[in-house]
Amino acid sequence: MNKTIEVARSPILSGYTPELDTYDEMWVRKGHVKHHWQGFVQAIENLGPEELERSHQELRRLLRENGVTYNVHGDPQGLQRPWALDLIPFIISQKDWQVIEKGMIQRAHLLNLILADIYGPRKLITQGKLPLELVFNHAGFLRQCDGVQTASAPQLIIYAADLARGPDKRMWVLADRTQAPSGAGYALENRTVMARVLRGMFRDGQIYRLSNFFKELRSALADLIPERKSSPRIVVLTPGPHNETYFEHAYLASYLGYSLVQGEDLTVREGHVWLKSLEGLQQVDVILRRVDDSFCDPLELREDSRLGVAGLLEVARRQNVAIANPLGSGVLENPGLMPFLPGLAKHFLNEDLILPSAASWWCGQPKELEYVLQNIDKLLIKRIFRQAQIRSIFGPQLSKKALQTLRDQIKAQPQFYVGQELVSFSTTPSLINGKFEARHAVLRSFLVGHNQTYTVMPGGLTRSALEKRNVVVSNWAGGISKDTWVLTSQPQKHTSLWLEASRIESAFKSSQFLPSRAAENLFWVGRYAERAEGTARLIRTTLNYFGDDDVIGDEIEAECLRQLLRALTQVTMTYPGFVGEDGAKRLAFPVSELLSVTLDSHRSGSLTANLRGMTRAAYAVRDLWSTDSWRVIDGLDVPWRLLEQESHADLGQVQQEINRLITTLMAFAGLNTESMTHEAGWLLLDIGRRLERGLLTIAFIRSMLGFHYEQSVQHLLLETVLITTENVITYRRRYRSYLQAQTVLDLLFLDETNPRSLAYQLNTLQAHIAKLPRERIAYRLSEEERLILEASTLLRLSDTMALAQTVNDSNVRQNLDEFMGHLSSLLSQISEVITRSYFSHAQISHQLITIQPELLADSLNQIA
Amino acid sequence: MFSHLMTTSHQMTTQQIIIMDYRITHKTKYLYEEPSSLSYNEARLAPRTFKHRLFNQTCLSSELVVEPTWSDQRERVDFFGNSVYYFTIRQPHEKTIITATSEVRVESTETFRSKEPLAQLHQIAPHSPPWEQVRSHLQNRLEPELLEARQFTLNSPMITVFPELAAYATPSFTPARPILEAIGDLMGRIFHDFDFVPGATTIATPLSEVLQERRGVCQDFAHFMLACVRSQGLAARYISGYIETLPPPGKEKLVGADASHAWCAVYVPELGWIDFDPTNNLIPQEQHITLTWGRDFSDVTPLKGVFFSNGEHILRVSVDVSRVLPPEKAAD
Repeated sequence: MNKTIEVARSPILSGYTPELDTYDEMWVRKGHVKHHWQGFVQAIENLGPEELERSHQELRRLLRENGVTYNVHGDPQGLQRPWALDLIPFIISQKDWQVIEKGMIQRAHLLNLILADIYGPRKLITQGKLPLELVFNHAGFLRQCDGVQTASAPQLIIYAADLARGPDKRMWVLADRTQAPSGAGYALENRTVMARVLRGMFRDGQIYRLSNFFKELRSALADLIPERKSSPRIVVLTPGPHNETYFEHAYLASYLGYSLVQGEDLTVREGHVWLKSLEGLQQVDVILRRVDDSFCDPLELREDSRLGVAGLLEVARRQNVAIANPLGSGVLENPGLMPFLPGLAKHFLNEDLILPSAASWWCGQPKELEYVLQNIDKLLIKRIFRQAQIRSIFGPQLSKKALQTLRDQIKAQPQFYVGQELVSFSTTPSLINGKFEARHAVLRSFLVGHNQTYTVMPGGLTRSALEKRNVVVSNWAGGISKDTWVLTSQPQKHTSLWLEASRIESAFKSSQFLPSRAAENLFWVGRYAERAEGTARLIRTTLNYFGDDDVIGDEIEAECLRQLLRALTQVTMTYPGFVGEDGAKRLAFPVSELLSVTLDSHRSGSLTANLRGMTRAAYAVRDLWSTDSWRVIDGLDVPWRLLEQESHADLGQVQQEINRLITTLMAFAGLNTESMTHEAGWLLLDIGRRLERGLLTIAFIRSMLGFHYEQSVQHLLLETVLITTENVITYRRRYRSYLQAQTVLDLLFLDETNPRSLAYQLNTLQAHIAKLPRERIAYRLSEEERLILEASTLLRLSDTMALAQTVNDSNVRQNLDEFMGHLSSLLSQISEVITRSYFSHAQISHQLITIQPELLADSLNQIA
Repeated sequence: MFSHLMTTSHQMTTQQIIIMDYRITHKTKYLYEEPSSLSYNEARLAPRTFKHRLFNQTCLSSELVVEPTWSDQRERVDFFGNSVYYFTIRQPHEKTIITATSEVRVESTETFRSKEPLAQLHQIAPHSPPWEQVRSHLQNRLEPELLEARQFTLNSPMITVFPELAAYATPSFTPARPILEAIGDLMGRIFHDFDFVPGATTIATPLSEVLQERRGVCQDFAHFMLACVRSQGLAARYISGYIETLPPPGKEKLVGADASHAWCAVYVPELGWIDFDPTNNLIPQEQHITLTWGRDFSDVTPLKGVFFSNGEHILRVSVDVSRVLPPEKAAD
């Protein structure tokens, strides 16, 4: 028995009232907490309420800044749920931990034996120890995987179980996760944040560290390679940014140093799996998958899957790639197995289960079915396999009518249902409004299997219910996560060397093998970021023409504004806008169109659409950004979303936000240049940026200076061009106050030292393009090299004086227009060629059609 | 083509045994709108070898030719014992032609006195066990053969039993009726109640619609019948194969006029798997050539694949089944 410790009457604990019939992790009786909670409770009290609140704020700030999210990021409504973490951990005593650890290892071992049997001799079925229906009816029993085993034992590399403490103080297993368990990354992130916020408590070294678990995971994966190679290539296969736990996939990939890939990044050739990288195909040895197994191969498994790799299962069958966990391991995620586990533990191990499962009744047996139907209002009803959109059903929450419907459903297909006892699991304190309150909690515990040994994460991901007495604990239901502390009397050494090394914040991991898809996303981040910045600058200049109350100055200014608005339409390509049909009407009353081009994210070319494009592309390569860079990207468009939703947004509000946005975008550009290694990934990001800046400058000048106005308007237009392109100070210094089109063109076109000039963009592009990986054929230039050389030469040979001239008494600068048109088309071609040569996944995958067997009608009669 | 030369049938009846040798050419063409540079395929086009109560089948040879040629290829046996060819094509191509050529010997082991299926069933087993007893054995006993059959009592990817379907089946399964009689009766009812209408359904047509419209192609007949059998707790599997068709009298048989066929088989203790062809209301023997079997069509799709291209594609299939002279020694 644990000793109980008296704590001082503390305001934080006042009002802590656990339910009478449940076990509480901390509470003994008024004024007394359990021994293993004493240190924490006292430390929290020593902090005092203000410091506690400050810590809580800091914790939330860190999570926000690290961009930790749970659900769908790319949601059209822009909904994303920030990760919720409680400042109060779930604390496990050393003694309790020893039982959990042993129990997890025993269960993983047992499940491995069952898995090997199910996809092997199936003796458990032939000997009557497992009903055939329980296994064969399970959607996770993939007959295609029969006999497919990884070379290594155990089969399950990662295993997780949801544990909760019952009234008898024992830990019970509520569910097993065997195919692609999620949460280990969140547990690590929780710990990282907690260790910063509650530094002092970790300094004493009485809490187990998590690093060893991840170290073990790394070596387990490295050892999976069929023929041990010195540098195995390991990738994390994610369903992509729309998956609810995408943050974790990116986080783990980055932490473990693996490439984060999607199905389309991989291809099967000659019996091996390859990563399509910028440098060509690279062989992949191990796949840590976060894609459900039936989605992994559209050839042999689910044909409608777009998340997998055609032919993957065949490569696994030949043991040319190892998949963790192996395809087919989802068959163990079956609550109907639970009642059979005690017998199987006896059979295989001659042991009793250390961690009992929640009492379960599989309805495929007559007596069990009868029991479930009789007690349905007290049970949790589960299907034997999890399906999207189908959740477990809590009997007590159902009406009489709903219960009857459920009974009928079960009776129609009893083999698909399991009744589970609702474990009245323990409560543990949560921090609610500065005070401790009791909440039900579930611990997800993780384990790594490696060379016949098992390592349990000394900690885990605890989730607690949001409301009091609520027993439904899940991320979907809006639960709060907790760090999990396992106490030890052995002082823990400081973070291991390996962990230190991986935490060094390099802004950008080595792009040695950058997946082509990632490269393409970086290219588009560059283009969108630059387009957003250019659009923002143009809008800002335009807004400067509006005085208070949207009043416009004299006729010269009005003329200039009209030209600027037309330029806005032309540069952003938001036709008809101020140019096309009804353009004159909009020019007369420009405010609503201006707001629309700024705020309407559904309008292609608008400022907010570009911001959204940029964040979407950046999120697709979430693993490649440093914390600092991500902090800039994340939340960039939040004020703009709010403005967009506001029904009465006005130009004043836009003006306030736009300066901040331009500064942020410039900071982002600077961060990339300063903190990303200038390898292929960065090159493409910057190529995107330079191409876009070139194209925007051309479009802007073409529109603003294509037509020669009378002197006063002309001056104002030239000045506006210089302001918008950030060149006004340079110009003044160089040409004093002498303002004319030719010198403006000199500065904007030809000055190679001016980072905003066309010459600068083209020079940079030429240098970057030369560095892109390619196979050189003799001394021939590649297509993109030839195009940039042509553009660059064209620009250098240009005569700005001739360009500034109007032609044949008209007011049109025809030379300029033609010249700009030519340059613009060359830049667009470069973009197309790069897309084609470096991001080659233009072809779409199709399923071959099949036809029904069908006898010809007239031959039927002829059958003997 | 071979079949022109081999149209003379060769049929010998010695000690009630008929031996038939067939040569089957199953040609599939995929034509792509835009060239494809990469495709992954699985073919289940090699006939099985087995011994059943009413006939034995031996696959004498089987060959698969792919144009353009494959870059990677492997043969394996699937969960249900069918042989599967996996192959990939990795060169730009506008069409794929897959030609499977097999030689198969089918030997019947029973000469029926009657043409009536029910009479035939009575002939092979006048006292087959009551169907409820078979169901009970399937549910409770662990003999390897029963366990093997037991998986075919369950729902499968394309077959989910539903109440209306069970209600249709029930009248055939009167209490204590011998199982063969019940199944024979069921087959006869389906044959009479349903119309064979080519093109009436697609692969995706659900059984509920087949039941309502009362028409379909042989795949629907097979699926419907095996679903009815499963609705009674009995074991039934889907058979993919071919049937020999004869030209109308006086006309020469057209090459490619044959087609894939589908039927089903039901498990009967002691007798094993007995085939039923509900499309034709007959008990298959030497005119049915078995390719593969599984729980339903999805397990035995003759050819499936994933290809990468920017366009759509069309499919052409031709099947030719012709008799071959068996070697001399078969005559004794």
